[in-house]
Amino acid sequence: MSRGADVIVVGGGVIGSAVTYYLAKEGLDVCLVDRGDVASGTSSACDGNVLATDKEPGFDSQMTLKSQLLFRDLQEELSYDFEYRQRGSTLAVEDEEQEKVARDWVSRQVAAGLPMRYVEREEVHDLEPMIADDIIGLVECASDLSLNPMALVFAFVHAAESLGARIMRFREVKGILRDAKGAVKGVDTAEGPIESKRVVLSAGVWSPFIAKTVGVDLPVIPRKGAILVSERTFVVGRRKVMEFGYLMTKFGGGCSRKVEPDMDKYGIAMVFEPTPHGNFLIGSSREFVGFDRTCTSEVLTLMARRAIRFFPAIKDVKVIRSYAGLRPYTPDHLPIVSPVDRIPGLYIATGHEGDGIGLSPITGKVISEMITGKPTSISVEPLRLDRFEKKAAGAKTTA
Amino acid sequence: MSVLDDDLIICRCEEITVGEIKKAIREGARDIAGIRRRTRAGMGLCQGRTCESLVLRILARELDEEAGRFHPNTARPPVLPVTFGVLAGEPDE
Repeated sequence: MSRGADVIVVGGGVIGSAVTYYLAKEGLDVCLVDRGDVASGTSSACDGNVLATDKEPGFDSQMTLKSQLLFRDLQEELSYDFEYRQRGSTLAVEDEEQEKVARDWVSRQVAAGLPMRYVEREEVHDLEPMIADDIIGLVECASDLSLNPMALVFAFVHAAESLGARIMRFREVKGILRDAKGAVKGVDTAEGPIESKRVVLSAGVWSPFIAKTVGVDLPVIPRKGAILVSERTFVVGRRKVMEFGYLMTKFGGGCSRKVEPDMDKYGIAMVFEPTPHGNFLIGSSREFVGFDRTCTSEVLTLMARRAIRFFPAIKDVKVIRSYAGLRPYTPDHLPIVSPVDRIPGLYIATGHEGDGIGLSPITGKVISEMITGKPTSISVEPLRLDRFEKKAAGAKTTA
Repeated sequence: MSVLDDDLIICRCEEITVGEIKKAIREGARDIAGIRRRTRAGMGLCQGRTCESLVLRILARELDEEAGRFHPNTARPPVLPVTFGVLAGEPDE
């Protein structure tokens, strides 16, 4: 049996590594276990946006804003460079119908405390010279930032290690172990058990398999998202640009887009992100296809077409790679950051879908506050696991 | 291999040196993907076509293992670089 720990964190993606860092910072003896290398699952197959602009005004956008502020501190705290760039972001508005929704979106976000504004037509091409001529407005959010997601994981892990945390790579957790009273007593791995009275499950889309070993049903399913990588090229845009219709593919409803039906079928919306290395990433797609991570040519073709619609000049720029990641989706678009009441010592931190990178600091901080018994930085009520059980029970009563 | 200088560039697209690859291995990289994620070796225009076998040999040597044990880089579409226009199915002008 390996030496035990105060807390075992299962999963070395961005959430698990952030949780490990914030717990180690509190002086706890933490052990992070992953079946592979750190940053080798969803956190290595995403983009690096930390966006408040696309969050529902209110709790969701506030939580992101808190996380953005933590990133500012992390930039000082973590010695490993994770390519932090706070340049803001814009959403491109295509027509009057979207404009109406966009203006309303801005006023609600401003009321919720976000640094946002609606950019009028005259100013659009001053801010984004390469954007298509017919774009009539932009939604600008000044606090949005970008970073390198894999470097962020390495940064958390290095900092945690220097604070005394142990990182166990290539060791698969088979299940959670409980004592006679039902409380957590460790994890079982292929190389034997590791003892601990507290376990944080942060294995993204693979979390439900581990939760099942103690009879916990996690409503987390994989949602595939693809990304295209360009060659190094001229400056297409200096910061994050998305189509306003992205909000529609994310939340559904509101207003329609004038696109071919397949764009909506695969949840395709243009997301442009420049990297500090001279290339850019193009997203996005959303598909429920189980654990299949392959990129289909149909989806890549539609993504390329959508990207050219907003940035016609990239037509002659080369695509050098594509990849797809499995985002941990929950039915209400909010993550699960919560204790499991009936299994003392078990905590869940997953279900962030496409927001795991951005919400990793606040998630790590809140889990460390829960475990050390401190007041939490944000209200954790909306993130509790039992919200789904309550909803299911409620549905039964009304039916 | 024993004479490889740490300053020697292995990945020419991203200008990654022997020393940087060795450092990634010291920091926990155990395969080609782990080295790519830590250093950008193989992330450039050629997608590792030129440097992959060299990176594999450094990996095998540093970990004292057979090079054949390591998986090559995962091939992802497009196999060769194509323009956004061609990928989008736009007619050539």
